[in-house]
Amino acid sequence: MSGGPAVRVSIESSCEKQVQEVSLDGLETYVPPLSMSQNLAKLAQRIDFGQGSDSEEEGVEGESRDQEWGKPEPEEEEGTVKFQPSLWPWDSVRNNLRSALTEMCVLYDVLSVVKEKKYMTLDPVSQDPTAGKTPQVFQLISKRKSLATAAQLLLKGAEKLSKSVTENQENRRQRDFNSELLRLRSQWKLRKVGDKILGDLSYRSAGSLFPHHGTFEVIKNTDIDLDKKIPEDYCPLNVQIPSDLEGSAYIKVSIQKQSPDIGDLGTVNLFRRQPKAKIGTQAWHVKLEAAQNVLLCKEIFAQLSREAVQIKSQIPHIVVKNQIISQPFPGLQLSVSLCHSTTGDKKNPKSSPEKPKPDDHLYVLEHNLHQLMREFHKQTLSSVVMPHPASAPFGHKRLRLAGPMAYDKAEISTLQQGEGLLEKIIKQAKHIFLRSRTARTIDSLASRIEDPQIQAHWSNINDVYESSVKVLITSQGYEQICKSIQLQLNIGVEQIRVVHRDGRVITLSHQEQELQDFLLSQMSQHQVHAVQQLAKVMGWHVLSFSNHVGLGSVESIGNASAITVASANGEYAISVRNGPESGCKVLVQFPRNLCKELPKSDVIQDNKWNHLRGPYKEVHWNKMEGRNFVYKMELLMAALTPCP
Amino acid sequence: MEAPPVTVMPVTGGTINMMEYLLQGSVLDQALESLLHRLKGLCDNMESESFADHETVYLLKGQQGNPFLLRARHSLAHPAAPWHLRYLGQPEVGDKSRHALVRNCVDVAASHSLPDFLNEMGFRMDHEFVARGQIFRKGALKVVVSKLFRVLVPGNTENTEPLSLSYLVELSVLAPAGQDTMSEDMRSFAEQLKPLVHLEKIDPKRHM
Repeated sequence: MSGGPAVRVSIESSCEKQVQEVSLDGLETYVPPLSMSQNLAKLAQRIDFGQGSDSEEEGVEGESRDQEWGKPEPEEEEGTVKFQPSLWPWDSVRNNLRSALTEMCVLYDVLSVVKEKKYMTLDPVSQDPTAGKTPQVFQLISKRKSLATAAQLLLKGAEKLSKSVTENQENRRQRDFNSELLRLRSQWKLRKVGDKILGDLSYRSAGSLFPHHGTFEVIKNTDIDLDKKIPEDYCPLNVQIPSDLEGSAYIKVSIQKQSPDIGDLGTVNLFRRQPKAKIGTQAWHVKLEAAQNVLLCKEIFAQLSREAVQIKSQIPHIVVKNQIISQPFPGLQLSVSLCHSTTGDKKNPKSSPEKPKPDDHLYVLEHNLHQLMREFHKQTLSSVVMPHPASAPFGHKRLRLAGPMAYDKAEISTLQQGEGLLEKIIKQAKHIFLRSRTARTIDSLASRIEDPQIQAHWSNINDVYESSVKVLITSQGYEQICKSIQLQLNIGVEQIRVVHRDGRVITLSHQEQELQDFLLSQMSQHQVHAVQQLAKVMGWHVLSFSNHVGLGSVESIGNASAITVASANGEYAISVRNGPESGCKVLVQFPRNLCKELPKSDVIQDNKWNHLRGPYKEVHWNKMEGRNFVYKMELLMAALTPCP
Repeated sequence: MEAPPVTVMPVTGGTINMMEYLLQGSVLDQALESLLHRLKGLCDNMESESFADHETVYLLKGQQGNPFLLRARHSLAHPAAPWHLRYLGQPEVGDKSRHALVRNCVDVAASHSLPDFLNEMGFRMDHEFVARGQIFRKGALKVVVSKLFRVLVPGNTENTEPLSLSYLVELSVLAPAGQDTMSEDMRSFAEQLKPLVHLEKIDPKRHM
């Protein structure tokens, strides 16, 4: 208003909160104001759902409701909305709810009437064909969508199928590996170490003491391409053998003439063709067997070389690289060598590519070496080693007895193992050599000399150290008559023992010449014996007989033998002297009256003395007719026997 | 006549310094067959060797401390075989990681007059028992599966009764002192027998 000092006007709102009570100390307690939800609830309670925009119902209920709104006039209520200022924000809500209720009631009524089908039925409205025409773009889109759904379904199915197929193949490969592993396990020792599968191909569990570990590893063969065709010899399992056991090996035993220069010795590198595996055996089996063979050959050679160095013998053995050389007989050389070829290629840079010359490759001895090794293995596993009582340490039973029985050194040494592998093999080699040389000697004599004939009957059953042969010296056509020379030869390791039919036992050394000389002397004796037998048959009398004649020239081989036989009537006599070198000499003694050269003498008074045998005359034996000596002799005897 | 010179130095070397590596376990009677099958497969390829032994334990009580123990054992199945005298020392308290029980072991073969000799020496018999079972070997490893029988009347080995319803399984190796490689082999062998029998080192002192 006018200028004057401003008047401060304080406006204070009226106390909104009602005072509930005033306490004695002046503190006012207000009624707590209503919260939002409480306020809303209070307002919602004041909504009258009976009142709405509907005229008839409103009119009926309006009178029974609030009188303060005044008496409504029926004609004004048709479209007018009652102005309720306190319910204004809820009016639309109420109206919407009321209209929804109305609609629902109508629908319910229609449906119940239609259900009865008496007053109302549902009939499809005939469509105007042009009205339902959808645009082409929409059709395209809908077709594409449906095709896409179908395609997706098919793709999902195909994916599942392909996954199952690969799984199947994978399973098959897995199963093959497992079945191969089972087959492998049925023949070889396997064990699992960590995630590796290891196997043992050594002879340790069979009693070997060789320090080689002999472990091989089993690996899965995964370098197979499933898309390509699986090859015929595909094996899902592969073995990896130790590198020093690869390839193939064999022990070669051979006997040769002694090489003049020691420098010729060296690595023997002969290669033999790989043995073809049987159809049906797996590659791993062939590989493992070859590796095991290599291991055994190495063990044999190690044992032999150890013995060659340790054992003292008269002629020392030489161990050079992969060869052991010893001398069983002077002038002879036995070589045992380990031939190990690693890469398996056929070419050999040292020796010439053509077939190597055969040099007495003694397969029998190689086989025997293997067998001896296995015998040795079995020895370590025999029950002789097991201790009784059980707490005693392992060891040979007899050695355990040595303490309590107080054996002395001599007894213990007799209990120890006799010979080593090398000595045994050398003995066997000696025997084989001696036997083959004996056979050769007899055969060469038989082919060289026709009269008398020499026959050899070898026995089938032999020992590794001993063989025997029966030698018969006969004349052809007169086998039944002249069978006095029968020799049994027992060929040992270093000597030949000859047992004569008449009981004499002669021991020959390994020298070839001795046997030959002996047989020649026996042949010459045979001739004389044949004459003796023939004389018995022909009826002639044996006047004298000597196996070893002390007269005449000295033979270089054996001794000469001689026989004198007289005819039945005594008129003639035949003297034979046969020596191995000097041949045979036959003299015939004639009676005196048939000899012209005899001088007449006064001493003989009577004529009967002229019938006595007189001088000798030699027979030109080589001019005689007859196939052999005995035949000739028979002819001679027959000629000198007068016909009755 | 003078007495022959006698060495006063203790004997070393040779068989005196052998150590025994031992692992023990047990199986019930029902499980014996499967254990024997497995051992036949694992061990060296031999016929199974059964044994019947009678062991007598002799004690020598000195003035001080622990009595001296000797074990005399002879075979009932092979009466002609020599007796076996055994001394087992205290288990070596080496590192705990060693898998087997190691103790000094002296084995001597003796004649049949052993019990009399020990009696004359002053040993007294402490106890005796009969063991029957089988021995297996794998290289140097010895596996003994035995059933122990109590001798009811001292000296009479016919009348025995089993001590328990189980079999004792022992895995042992004799090796010269200083060689410690055997315990690994023993452990791996024991692993292979694992579900059938658990072989472990059992300290005898703890069970006394």
